[in-house]
Amino acid sequence: MKTTQYPIIRLLGEDSVLIEFEAKVSWEVNTQVRRLLNVLENKKHDAYQVALPSYRSLLVYFDPDKISDDGMMSEISSAITASQLQHEPEARLFRLPTAYGGAHGPDVDRVAELSGISADKVIDLSANLKLPIYFLGFICSQAYMGDIPVELQAPRHNSPRPLVPGGSFGFGGPQANILAVDSPSGLNYVGRTFVKVFNPDNFPPTAFRPGDYVQCYAVDEDTAIEMGSKPMEDFIEPFCDC
Amino acid sequence: MSRFAIVNPGILTTFQDLGRTSMLKYALAACGAMDQTAVQLINLLLGNQPSAAVLEITLTGLTMKVLGNGQIAVGGADMGLKINGQYGPMWSVLDVEEGDVIGFTKLRWGVRAYLGVASGFDAPEILGSRSVYLRGSLGRPLNKGDEIQSLAHAVYSKRSGKRLPDKFIPKRDMTKPFRVLPGPQYDYFSPLGIDVFSSTVYTISPVSDRQGIRTDGQPVERVKGPDIITDPTPIGAIQVPGSGLPIILHRDAQVTGGYAKIGLLCKVDIDRAGQLCPGDKIRFTLIDRQSALSLLNKQKLLLAEAQIALAS
Repeated sequence: MKTTQYPIIRLLGEDSVLIEFEAKVSWEVNTQVRRLLNVLENKKHDAYQVALPSYRSLLVYFDPDKISDDGMMSEISSAITASQLQHEPEARLFRLPTAYGGAHGPDVDRVAELSGISADKVIDLSANLKLPIYFLGFICSQAYMGDIPVELQAPRHNSPRPLVPGGSFGFGGPQANILAVDSPSGLNYVGRTFVKVFNPDNFPPTAFRPGDYVQCYAVDEDTAIEMGSKPMEDFIEPFCDC
Repeated sequence: MSRFAIVNPGILTTFQDLGRTSMLKYALAACGAMDQTAVQLINLLLGNQPSAAVLEITLTGLTMKVLGNGQIAVGGADMGLKINGQYGPMWSVLDVEEGDVIGFTKLRWGVRAYLGVASGFDAPEILGSRSVYLRGSLGRPLNKGDEIQSLAHAVYSKRSGKRLPDKFIPKRDMTKPFRVLPGPQYDYFSPLGIDVFSSTVYTISPVSDRQGIRTDGQPVERVKGPDIITDPTPIGAIQVPGSGLPIILHRDAQVTGGYAKIGLLCKVDIDRAGQLCPGDKIRFTLIDRQSALSLLNKQKLLLAEAQIALAS
């Protein structure tokens, strides 16, 4: 069987290059994506416009009037080489006050039942997770997080809830998110933070960056609501993997 | 200022401009008018910046009353523009006066008409654009009773009655195939699937919106998928979910998604797709990148020529 050589680099559409690393959701693979993004962002070639990271790929938009196809492909190749030596910026931790259970966490019982642990245990485990942000995507800068431990890995709902409030924190399988705005979603929502993680009145509209970590620590509802009026930058701490 | 009162907003009328493309870095949809060539042309006709905010009127129905004199121009879909009950010409600068009633009576072609005003509409600017983005709650559709106005008092008498030369009016012939470049998951589809994709006549589904233009027709066969590890979804990406029926992602689409993408609509056909109406019949055809780039260059040159022709 032929083994695929990663990364795969190819032109896509009229004005982009897609770089794909190994086809799996893993922090290690995603680290390659984020390092490459950093190199391209720091270098800012004339023809470079913007790059969109995801779990294992990076889509780089360029101006085809400013560089040849071969030129762009070789820019990307040398950026990949440079990215292997790159260190990432120091990771940051967003500690967001979160109200768990009840109306704010309608799926606590479902997760408890599927995992065979108590509802309190689900909340306790959830509130202590420090989850890495793989990338921002979908709509409105939504953070795609992962690394939910196996004991909390409940499958998604078969049919999505039609509308889950913005700020809701949930997971399905190993993936997790905090909804940026009210959205339909099939994840299991266990809590809600009232800190605005997407605020169109600010630029940029979110302080999350790929590579950051998020902890949704538990507080009571009143505290969650009261603290939710503060800007999300107020909740940043240096990340310590401990 | 030119001012207008909304008497009837129709099905959906929103402010749109050329979108917030610079926000892609923050994973925000590009937004913006579905037919951006039309928007640029009516703005140039009015002496505006090409990116000035206009009204995007969907399907039919807008009626508004003029509260303060001004100059308008209408382009895009032909919805039977009437001013005080008389048919008014499209792609022309029209002087309107206090008390005039501007209405759209009958959809004849396309799905989105654009109404621009001299100096552009004074719509709220959010994250670098005046485009309403419904899914992200950025702005809202116009309601009955809303009063809207232009940014400045601008009536350019020498532009009164000016018409867009015929050669610049976009020809949106939907019987011509929609041109496509291979997408990131092209190899997820069987040769038969690719063949079906490029030979089937697809019908535009009524469940289409600014996010995605859905189709009905023969399903496209896959060898892998439909689910993939979520990856970027450019505007014009044609995704094929479990149903096998292609969906063209448009201006309000999510920036990442989890379905296989068979192709990317060529840039020159994205505005045309923005005028697809439920029930329209379309075909897709795969072309190569060099052809796509040369078509794109031709389109850019034509717009540059229009810019010069309409400069004064």
